[in-house]
Amino acid sequence: MFNTIYIERQVADHARVAEICARFPKATRVECDRYGEVFNPNAQDFRLQKNNPALILAHKHNGHVLAAPQGYGIGGERNHYFSHMLNCLYDCRYCFLQGMYRSAHHVLYVNYEDFAEEIERTLAAAGKQASWFFSGYDCDSLAMEPVSGFVEHFLPFFAARPQAWLELRTKSTQIRSLLKVEALPNVVVAFSFTPDEVYRALEHKVPGIERRLEAMLQLQQAGWPLGLRFDPMIYQDDYQAHYRTLFAQLFSRLDSAALHSVSLGTFRLPRGYFKKMVQLYPDERLFAGSFETCNDMVSYPRAQEREMTDFCTQELLRHIPESLLFPCSLAA
Amino acid sequence: MIHILSALPAEARPLIDHFRLHEKSTSGGFRIHQGNGIALVISGPGKVAAAAATALLASRLAAGTQATWLNIGIAGHADLEIGQGLLAHRITDRASGQNWYPPRVFDWPLESAGLLTVDTPENDYPQTVAYDMEASGFYPVATRFSTSELVQCYKVISDNRKQGTGSVSAQQCTRLIAARLEEIDSLLHSLGDLQQQHHGRHAGNDDVSRLAGQWHFTVSQQHQLADLARRWCALIPDQPLWLDSLKTHDSAARVLNTLREHLDALPTRLAAETGADRV
Repeated sequence: MFNTIYIERQVADHARVAEICARFPKATRVECDRYGEVFNPNAQDFRLQKNNPALILAHKHNGHVLAAPQGYGIGGERNHYFSHMLNCLYDCRYCFLQGMYRSAHHVLYVNYEDFAEEIERTLAAAGKQASWFFSGYDCDSLAMEPVSGFVEHFLPFFAARPQAWLELRTKSTQIRSLLKVEALPNVVVAFSFTPDEVYRALEHKVPGIERRLEAMLQLQQAGWPLGLRFDPMIYQDDYQAHYRTLFAQLFSRLDSAALHSVSLGTFRLPRGYFKKMVQLYPDERLFAGSFETCNDMVSYPRAQEREMTDFCTQELLRHIPESLLFPCSLAA
Repeated sequence: MIHILSALPAEARPLIDHFRLHEKSTSGGFRIHQGNGIALVISGPGKVAAAAATALLASRLAAGTQATWLNIGIAGHADLEIGQGLLAHRITDRASGQNWYPPRVFDWPLESAGLLTVDTPENDYPQTVAYDMEASGFYPVATRFSTSELVQCYKVISDNRKQGTGSVSAQQCTRLIAARLEEIDSLLHSLGDLQQQHHGRHAGNDDVSRLAGQWHFTVSQQHQLADLARRWCALIPDQPLWLDSLKTHDSAARVLNTLREHLDALPTRLAAETGADRV
């Protein structure tokens, strides 16, 4: 899986580092002073590195928990996000991470305890108010679970703090660590989907829709609150038929009444990210359509965006009550 | 194009013979050999000379971002056997303490090691790394001209604690590199594959040049034309960038509008890929 593991000197003796390295006995281990020496330099090619990314084990010094952008959320008023990892095992062509980072290497911050302390401080500041923590912003929350043990570490923490809500956002089927324990009412496992035609064209290395649905059914049966995320929605001429088919496939098997939330948002990116992604994949048809730039964000033309959102909203409301639906029109 | 830097004529000789290179020029005291898509410069020992020779080669050959760069030479190591070849996974400049990490995004089943660039030959080998005198001059300059995945340092161990630097003759140096030509070939092959992936994205578009020759495009319009050409290649790659209606156009602005309208009117479909990379 990884042929090179970079290890920050500061965490070289960390127990979690030893566990992770033991999983990859053939990988070359390279010590570095700070992970930024490997991850941040200019003259790196994200697309070439995506062929064979390395793992970087690092210490997160500050900014463990950040405020989510205003308007971002699924019903809560105090919304935060945190990233124990940077980058993703999957290779979705629309993903903003391609435009955000110079390197495709996976950074894993191993000092989970510091994240937990910061979450604790954030909760204390909120008093008795519920706080949301979104974990799948800069990575997939579950895809690396067998390596990171992130969920296994954090579930007891959230179990003991019912006023803290955790969203695990994923396209992965790595749900073993969730099925091993009793479901927590304050941990929402949110699965992202696009229609099969989009999945086949753009979501490389991602488990198929049916496999993700199977994982959701197992979790639902075990009592875990589930979310559905249709973000980004990708435009094609036949998008209505494609999304209608996808919704029918999902809602015919899932218990809609037991869903926690459904959110949707159209494809949109900061202009700088979009430009970089086009340079990485100039032959990608996704980037060859017509787009508009507004407030430094690239998105589908306004009318097309509205039409798509309206259509998918109406279709979703055939399956779920409006109270579960959360549209998102913010920066990806 | 593959660019190779070696410090010593004795290191370069087996490469010149193997790749059938011919001496093309001498500039600033640096000899450049070329042939078969490869250019090799002999820098002389030391990181300053290596940096200067790298810059010279880049400027002489107008190296683009898709060029491969390889520093091939000998190095010392406390424990590794003499004759062992290795790829540098970290380069450290002893004088400044600065580090670089050449990304290894291709399969390399053989040895790799940290490489410490020193200003004078090291005979005590205090750390478990390889010692050379050029890499920290070569690498940061080469990565100004190419993406770092295509810039690598390959060294053959010439001395160790049992047999120090004093025992390394020019003939032995040549023999050591010559014995590793197969490995060097394999490395160049891997880098060549990467280079091809990278080059495919940055290849020029002849159609754009043809249109730019027919109408006067301002700098801003040239960017717009390049972007439309990219969209055209993505959406209708089998068709040359041309529409008969363009013949009557008297301005670049009208050409751009017509091309844009044509592309916007095309059906929006995402190309389905094969199932090869499905999990």
